[in-house]
Order: sequence, then structure tokens, then C-alpha cells
Amino acid sequence: MSLRGVETLQVRGLQPEEPPDSGSSYSSSESDDLEPEWIDSVQKNGELFYLELSEGEEETLLSFNSSLPSINHVRFCENEAEVIEESQQKRDKKVEPRLKIINKILKKKVLTQKHSIKKGSGRRAEQISGPTSILKHESSLKSGVVVQRYRDVCLYVNPDRLPDSAGQQLCLLQALVGIVHQTSLNSRRVEKQSSDGGPVSWNSEEKLVVHGLVPGSTAIKSGQIMIGDALVAVNDVEVNSENIERVLSCVPGPMQLKLTFETSFLEPDGGSQFKYKQAPPSMNNLIKLLWGEDNSDLQLAIQGIPHIAMFLTLKLDSEISKEEQEILYQYPVSEESQKLKSVRGIFLTLSDMLQNLTGGRIISSSLILNGQLCHVAYWKEAEKLFLISLPAESVPLLQLKNMVADVVQTLKVMYGSLVSAFCRVENLHRLDHFFSLFFLRALQPARLNEYADLSAQQYDLSSRLFLDHTPGVRWLTLPNDIKIDIDTALSDLEAADFAELSEDYYGIRRLYMMLGSCLFYKGYLVCSHLPKEDVIDIARYCRHYCLLPLAAVQRIGQLVIWREVFLLHHCQPCMEGTTEGYREPDARYFLLIVGLKHFMLCVLLEAGGCTSKAIGNPGPDCIYVDQVKATLLGLEGIDLNIEERLGAAASPYLSCADWFLPSSRDKLDSLTTSPILSKFQMSNKGATSPASKKTLFSDSSSSLRTRKPSPTRNSGGSENSIEGPVDGFGLSPHSTPDLARKYYRRESQGSGGSDGSGGSGNIFKISRKKHTLPNPFNFGTMKKNLSEKETEELYNTVKLTSGPGNTLFHYITLETIHGIFISPTHRDVAQLSGSIHPQLIKNFHRCCLSIRSIFQEAMSKKTKKIPNIKSHSETRKTSSSLGLIKEHGVLFECFPENWTDQKKSPPTMTYWVVGRLFLHPQPQEFYVCFHDSVTEVAVELAFKLSFGIAT
Amino acid sequence: MEESGGCGLSLICLTASSGVPLYSRSRGGIGRQLPFSVIGSLNGVHMFGNNLDVLLTATSTENTRVVWKSFHDSINLIVMSSEVDSSDLYLNRLLDNVFHAMVLVVGLEELVNIKNVERLKKDLRACYRLIDSFLTVSEKSGDLTQCVDCVVPYDGPILQECLDAFTHAAESNFGCLMAAGRVVVATEKWWRLAAQEVMLLAWLVASLALNSSRDYPVYLPHGSPTVPHRLLTFQLVPGVDVCVLCGPTPSLQKVETELVERYWRPLQDPVKACLRVQLRSFPASFPLHQGILGLLLINREQKKGVYTVQAQQAEDKQQGVSLSLEQRRAALRAFYTLAVSQYFPSEQGDEKKGKAASKLE
Repeated sequence: MSLRGVETLQVRGLQPEEPPDSGSSYSSSESDDLEPEWIDSVQKNGELFYLELSEGEEETLLSFNSSLPSINHVRFCENEAEVIEESQQKRDKKVEPRLKIINKILKKKVLTQKHSIKKGSGRRAEQISGPTSILKHESSLKSGVVVQRYRDVCLYVNPDRLPDSAGQQLCLLQALVGIVHQTSLNSRRVEKQSSDGGPVSWNSEEKLVVHGLVPGSTAIKSGQIMIGDALVAVNDVEVNSENIERVLSCVPGPMQLKLTFETSFLEPDGGSQFKYKQAPPSMNNLIKLLWGEDNSDLQLAIQGIPHIAMFLTLKLDSEISKEEQEILYQYPVSEESQKLKSVRGIFLTLSDMLQNLTGGRIISSSLILNGQLCHVAYWKEAEKLFLISLPAESVPLLQLKNMVADVVQTLKVMYGSLVSAFCRVENLHRLDHFFSLFFLRALQPARLNEYADLSAQQYDLSSRLFLDHTPGVRWLTLPNDIKIDIDTALSDLEAADFAELSEDYYGIRRLYMMLGSCLFYKGYLVCSHLPKEDVIDIARYCRHYCLLPLAAVQRIGQLVIWREVFLLHHCQPCMEGTTEGYREPDARYFLLIVGLKHFMLCVLLEAGGCTSKAIGNPGPDCIYVDQVKATLLGLEGIDLNIEERLGAAASPYLSCADWFLPSSRDKLDSLTTSPILSKFQMSNKGATSPASKKTLFSDSSSSLRTRKPSPTRNSGGSENSIEGPVDGFGLSPHSTPDLARKYYRRESQGSGGSDGSGGSGNIFKISRKKHTLPNPFNFGTMKKNLSEKETEELYNTVKLTSGPGNTLFHYITLETIHGIFISPTHRDVAQLSGSIHPQLIKNFHRCCLSIRSIFQEAMSKKTKKIPNIKSHSETRKTSSSLGLIKEHGVLFECFPENWTDQKKSPPTMTYWVVGRLFLHPQPQEFYVCFHDSVTEVAVELAFKLSFGIAT
Repeated sequence: MEESGGCGLSLICLTASSGVPLYSRSRGGIGRQLPFSVIGSLNGVHMFGNNLDVLLTATSTENTRVVWKSFHDSINLIVMSSEVDSSDLYLNRLLDNVFHAMVLVVGLEELVNIKNVERLKKDLRACYRLIDSFLTVSEKSGDLTQCVDCVVPYDGPILQECLDAFTHAAESNFGCLMAAGRVVVATEKWWRLAAQEVMLLAWLVASLALNSSRDYPVYLPHGSPTVPHRLLTFQLVPGVDVCVLCGPTPSLQKVETELVERYWRPLQDPVKACLRVQLRSFPASFPLHQGILGLLLINREQKKGVYTVQAQQAEDKQQGVSLSLEQRRAALRAFYTLAVSQYFPSEQGDEKKGKAASKLE
């Protein structure tokens, strides 16, 4: 008889696909008691994905779980028993790495089990667990008559809250769980029961039959434990009257216990089918997915939707002809995907033939499948073809194209190349996990992220359509002082000056060099010391594994991710002509992500180059993880400040679409007295006072208000300002030479007519760049003093639109050069809850998607045209259609969706969605949504936004 | 038409059952002759998918688009285009127009029940001119919008009155006055024809060889795809025709000798004026903003449109910045395509499209 391992959620490992390295890492964990919890989760190839929620979150999550009963139906047939066994064995593998504390105490037993796994030969024989052993015994019975029913009940227990008075005599089963079992009295009954239902192995110990429930205990509260049930296992550890106290005493702290009860009942022969539901459907699907638990209920939801991802090869080995040998990888293997799989000949033929004929790579196809339009997007590389197909109604073609590019990029970052990703056997499970996440994200995004706030969730869903595949990360502008603090903290980390990391300390070369780091807070990028390409690659990875939304919604107890990454930016051979100069070292790169509460700090490490070369597949180094964690802990105080920023009024101001409906005209009239606007006016008043720091913004905002209402003149003004965009900003003394050069260049382009020369540059944010100045502050001074709060408020109240009222509904500005975008925060949008506002935001993002695709198309055409411009200028001119599109605006009319009044027609509101593309001085895209009543010049809005707020 | 290599559009028509090519037409560079193997595999993948109940409709590469369309399970049309501004919308409409042009000329019956492929091939030659007119870069927008192009004449009421009387005298309700393939005026019944029919008839008349009068059998693709009607056309002045759609009577001879002279002789001047206004599509008396280089105005209810790229009366030729006519046309068409495919996917809403050129840089 062996123990199957105790699942504890406190110590929860990831990467379920792969059994843990049972050899070396395990033995090392025995020897060192101080090492971190995640060490057991490190895989053979050095990768680590370890996630643990904070305690509070877990309790709510788990209590939710336990409210839903999970029922294991088991039918006793010889052949089917085997199926069960296998699935349980799979579960074993998952469970094992998670235990730690209990594990150690029950070390011997677990060890024998581990060895048996390693041997693999006697696997089934030694994998006897409670239920299976019963099955073995029962298999001699006639099939389909007696059905043993196993039921898992999850209870949250807290040994710290044990009533002390009860003392020793009260057994733990009673005190902790609340189950009363009377040992000696019912021995005969138990004997009887075990003789027909239980395993023979329970000879001396008796079965734990529930004889009563303690009032007020967790057991009675759950309502799922019945008197007469027999407790057979706790967290998959088989229990009986002899060992139960010992097992329960191992519960280290507040945690979830899974109690397995057994009840016998009869079931009619006919309808009994093998059912095995492993995990209870839980609210938080994302967590479960990331933990890699069974997600069959989620998969079920997308089952009816045709979708497939395939990796095909065009080059076939003619020697060995095998069925389906051209398929190198495929996900999912389901009925719906079968049809798409069967027409792979179309994909292969088309991609090959059209490329030969026209010289252009294949991009997309459209198919009608069971009356449903599906799009296929391809990625062709060498002789390999990667494709994804999704129905048009869930994913528009434009987005699908972006998605494929995104997936390919992510895979390349994770595995180096598509071939190495798909063609290695050991990656198969990881890819399955990857694509199951991908399809769930694409088809059922609502099921993955549960925001507490409904409007925030709606916002997230609608913006995801557009923003998930733009080359940018959501950026949160922060007041300067906070930024400096964060910058300092990250720089200190990157300097790697701590004793353990210094080369002198140990006299050996350090393992890694920190190339840079970036910090996320609740999914917003707040600070980055990495080149744009790396930030985007990292963000792509995080987005794919839903880490950004995860951090936004939940408090992470601990997150440690370690993996080798292949950053294209670094791995690419150097540009021609730079052979003499600097070359990227021939190095390997590792990504370390450590998450704590709402923070996530991503660090890019380099091995090779100036540090020692990485050999094999190194796992995460504790020292580095600890240092990153320490940095995060040091930043802990700052989250209050960031929260404050998030909670502050939106900057620039946003209006809710509902205010502009004619029916709510009265509301609009009273807009002046609305709290937000009055706040604005107040702050505006404050702005006129000549505080040194405020000058710049008071200038811009007050001039904004007093500006002449004529839009044409406005536009003239904006043209000027675009010419010399930085004239108004004094150069900050903190700026690095790099920055100075950048603005010099801009300045030289400008015309020079500056009007706000007095403005101090302090407000102008420079800290996105690495700043090299030594900072006198340390973590202790990160608390902000009050006087600066005012500046922040002022800073936050900038109106973007012209005209007397604020007509701005939404905006996105995409700064390709920095790889970031700025848009209103979730909280900003949540504040503007209205009936048509969510509709507007959804439409806005959809429109942005199409506008952006137009921009992209126009740009690609332009670049294509350049080489031909001399020879074919005439013909080119005639064949070009729209040329380079720089601005695109669409006028929409909307009305409340559920308008019940039959007599009156619904009130309507018209608004513009305008996209604007800038190529100079740096590529920028800007999307804005505003009410029709004011003529806006997109250039001007963009200017105000990007130079006034974004920077 | 001189094109750089790789630019072009080719159209292939095959029978769905056997995959026998019926004809292939093209414009521009590639596919002046698409290799037979390519035609074969293009049709092959479509048939392969069809057998597995997966209908392939479109594919695009970096520079080429291919669109498949199957009609009545009997005719397959494939178009392959490597032109920059050919969109899926345009190609789909093109195929639709081409098929209905085939119906217009040879009738649906012969296309659905193909008995003799060789004979069908021969018959289809009659519609080459019409199909080619869709393939050549045109000054009209009807092929894209599927709404007939119109001309707003100076003396609309007079012409309308005369046309009504003339049509009535020719024992018909369907009469139309066309100037270079654009409808000047038409009887009420004519507008009741399906929008595509009105457009196809206008293009048909424009594509036929110059003749003073014609008696041409047409199958209306939506109204009577199997029973032919007679389309009588009479040239009033070169470029301006009056058309009547009628049954077996009256004879062409009778209408030409007795009616045309009588009704249209007095209106020589207004008819000639139609030609003058034809390029701009509407009289110069309409005030229009200086900045508008071209416009496309569509009446979605009656399915007719006004399309011009010479909106300004006296174009200042000296200004080097202004776009050439071809550029304007391409821009306007591209803008229409963009708007319709992105923002008006379903046939609803009554947004006015136009004034495009002023918004673009």
C-alpha cells in the first residue's frame, strides 16, 4: 500500500505536461531545507513555470471550488478499470511535485513510489491507490451491477484556528474537519462493508465511516458530506482509522483538503457509461489553465467551433510514404478539426503553386465549412507551412493574420525557430498546452479573464481584439517621482552589484549578465530598461500565457518563470556594414519573470558574452531569483502610489457617450456641475498660479480652453506645433546624451516659434530611458509627499478636444518606436459606465483594427514601390490606388441597444473614429474617438496627446 | 495597355462537372496565357474541397488574389489578379457580373444543362466583348458598385417625356436613353428591372459594335433567365442610343422608320447636350466645392449612381499637383471598395459616399 501524494495548494508546481525530474532535483531538495518552493517544478530542460496565488485569493478560489461537487463515476469492468488507472496515474504525476512539506514527513513512502515510477516496469502494480485497489478487487464481480461511487469534497481547513480548549483528546478529524467517527463501536459493521466493498488490504485498520458531523464545522457547512459515507482518501492519500490523525497532523497551514468519500449504490445496467470528470468546474479558469489542470469543460465549450493549427511540410520523403506524414504537428485532434485537416491538400497545393507562379508567399484563404465561413491564415517559411484556421465570426481575417504572425513570433522567441518548436518530440505537450491556451483565448476570451468589474471586463474584451496584436505594450504614465524611484530600483538590480553576484566574491565568472528589465503593474508596463523589440517579445510571451491579465485581477503569491529565449533582435546576424563595429556576442539569453502581488518584473539575462557560457539547460539560479524578488519587495510601497495614479481622474478627460444622447440633454447641460468637470475647472484655476513645476501644463491646458473656437485656425496652430514639437519643453538636466540628441534633432527640424519657453522640463517625462545618474534616494523615500500630489492631479486633468465641452470618448496612441501604447486605463473606462458607451468602445476597437490594417497595407505598398519608382514611375502612378493613407476617419451613428419605447425613435448620437499615421519624426499611430459636434484635427489631438501626456 | 510584369488579371471559366475550360480572358501581364497546369490545379483544389464539403472561396498571397465562384453547380469561374487595387469585393462582383453577362447573352438554360461543350464555347464568344469591357479599366463605376451609372441631363423632363411617348409607341414599357453606357433617362418600368440587369444592359449596349440600329436577343438574368426578349437599339447621334425592350412585335424596321424620326428629330439639341455632359455626369450649373476632384453618389434605393472624376468645370491644367484622371479613378474606386468592404458589409444603411478625394493626401 502506498501513498499517492498529498496535494497542497500552497506549494503548487506547474508544467503538468512533463513529469518532474525525479532524479537529481529531487534528491537535492532533500538535502537542502532552505531552498525555494519552486525548485521542484524545474523541468529537465531548465524551464520553470511556477505560479502560486496569494492566500486570500486562494481561499476564495478554493471555497468556490468546494461548493461544486465533483463526482467520479466508476464502473467495474476489467477493461475500463485500466482507463481509470491511467488517468489517475497522470494525475499522480501532476500531484507529486506539488507536495513538499507533507512529502518530507512521509518521505519514505513517497520515495518508494517515486522509485517505482522511475523504474517504470512495475508501474501499475505499485501504483495502487485507494480507488484503484478497490477496482482490482472488484473486477471479479459481474459488471454493471454494483457501482461504487467516489466523491471528492474540497474543504478549506485552517489548523491555526483550532480551538485550543479541546486539547488533545479531541481528534484532528473532528476538530479540523468536523467529521465524527467512532472507532470501536462500529467495527463489525465496517468489517462487513469492507468485506464486500473494500480492499482486502485494510485488515487491521478500519474504514473511516462518517458517523456524525460537528455543528459549525467546515464539513457540515459544505453540505456535501453525508453520514454513512466512508472517507477513503485525503488529498489522494489513502486514509483509515490508523493513519488519519497522522495525515491530518501534517497539514501545515490553511489549505484546501480534498476528501474522497465512498458510497455504494446500485445503478441500472444500461445507462452506465464511463465518466470521469477530474476537476470541478471552477470560476477561475485561467488559473487552472495555467496550472495545466484538466480543462475539459473549457475545451467542451469550443468543441463545436471548427479550429485548427497545423504545421505541414512541403518536402516529402519519397522513400518512406506514410499516412499523414506531411503533418508535423496538429492541434486539436477533434472531430471539428478533422474536416479542416482533410483539406490540407488544398493548403499545400495553393501555397506551393501560387508561390511558384507569382513569387509571393501565401497569406490567407477563405473556406465555407458547413455553411460557416472560416479563414485560414498561413505562415510559410522555407519548405514548411504553418497555418491556423478559425471561423470568421469569432475572428475577422485581419485579426487572424495578425494572430498568426504573433504566434509565430512567440514560438520563435520560445524555441528559436518553428522547426525546432514543432519537430522535437519533447515539445509536443508544451505546444498542446500553448495552442489550447491560444484557441481558448481566441474563441472564448470571456471565460479566461474574470474581472471583478463588468465594465472593465467588457473593455478588456473589446480592446483585446485590436490591442493584443499590435506591436506594443500597454503603458501607464506615472508621475515623475514614482518613475524615478522605479527606475532607480531597476537600475540597481541591473547593476548586479550585490555581493553574491560580484565576480570578486567567489572568484569565478558570474553566470549571467542582466541585459535589462521591465516592470509590469497590473498588466501595465510601468518601466522598461529594455530595447523595444525585447519588450515586445516579452510582452507577447506574457500575453500568451495570460500573465498580464492575471496580474491585473489577482494577487500573485509568487510567480517564477525561467526559460531560455531566442530573441530575434539579438540572434539576428548583424546588419551589413557593421562587421567592423560592435557585434552582438555569441550568447544565450534567458528570461526570468518574477511576480509578486500585482507586480511582475521581467529580467533578461545573457549567458556567454562577458559572462561564463551556459552549458546544457541551466535552471533558474536562486540568487538571481532572490535578487529580483528583493527588488520587488523593495518596490512594495510604491504600489500605493501607482494605485493612486490609477484611481485618479483620467488624463486626458474622457466623456461618456451616454451624456451626448439627446434625451439626456439635461444631463449634458448640467455637465458643468458634474463632479469631474468641476474638478477640472478647479484644477484649471490652480494651474494659473505660477508654480514652477506647473507652468508647462497650465500653459497648454489654459490656452486650450481659451483658444478660439474656430477649428480651422486651430488646425493652423497645430501645424505649427507639429513643426517644432519640443520647443516648449526645456531639456531636463537629467536627460541622457541620447535623449538630448533625439530632441536636438527634432528641434532642428522645427521652425522655432516657441511660445512656452519658460516651462521647466521636470514634468516632461524622460525616465523611460535608462538614466545613469546615481540616485540618492533609496527605497525608504519612495513614499510621496503631499505637495506633489497636487501636481499629479493637475497633470491628470488635461482636456484633449477643442471646444467648450469635452467630447473625447476614447483614444489609443501607439508609439512604435518605444513599443508601447497608451490608452485609458480599465478604471477610467469603468468609471464611465453607460448604456451605449461599451458599445461605442467595442466599435472603436473594431474600427481601429481595420484602420490599422489599411495603414499597414499602405505602408507595405509604399516600401514595395520604392525600388521601382524610377523605372516605372508612370505606370506605377496609374496603378496605385489610394497611395499612402495617413488619416482615416469614419463617422458612426449609434443608439441605445434595447430601446423599448415603440412610439419614439431611439435617440441617436454620432461620433467619429479617426486614425492617424505619423511616419516622421518617429512612427506613431494614433486613434481617437470623439463626438461629432466639434471639428477636430487629428494631428492636433495627436500632438497634444503624445507630447503633452504620453511622454 | 503597358504593364510591368506580374501585374494583371485573368479570368477562367470552366465547367464544374468535367473541368473543361470554356474560355479564359485576361488583362495585363500574367495569364495572357495561364499555363494549363495552373488552370488545372486552381480548379483541382476547388473541386477537391468541394468533394469533401469544403468550399474554397478565396486565397491571397503577398501580391496575388484568387477568387473561386461556382454558379448553379455547372459553371466555375476563377479569377486571379495581381493588381494592387483589386480587392476581394471587386473580384467577387466581377465574377458575379461575368456570369450574369453570360446568362444575358446565351441564357441560363444552356449554362446549367451543358449538352455540347463545343457549342457552348462557340456561343459564349458572343459575350467576350461584354466580358472584356468589364476587364478593361473603365470610366464607369457600375462594374464595382453594381449600380448603373447615370448622367444628369440639362433637359431631363423633355427627354423623359419623349422617351415615355416613344416607348409607348413601340408597344413596350421598357425604354431607356443611354449616352456612352450611362443612363440618361429611362421609363419607370426600366428602373423596375433588377439593378444588375439595368447595369448589364447599359454595358452591353456600350460594348456592342457601332451600328445605327440593332435587334439583339437578351435573357434578363433575374427577370427571365430562360426566355429571351428583344433589345432594340437605335443610334440617335454617335454615342447616344435609345433602347427598347420588347416582345416579338414590333419589327425593328417599323420602329426605325416610323417612330425614331418622329419622336427624336425635334430633340436633336438636348440629345447632343447629353454627350457634352457625359464626362462630368451632371450639368455645370450644379455648385460644387472647389476641392472636390471626383465624386461617386449612389442612390441605394433605386440602385443608380453618379460617378465622375472631372467634377470641376474648368480644370486648371497648369497645377502640377493635381492628380491625373486615372489616379482619381483608382483612388475613388479604392475608397469605395474600402468603405463598402469594411464598413457597409451588409446591404443596409444609407450613408452617402463621396467627396473622397478631398480627404486623402
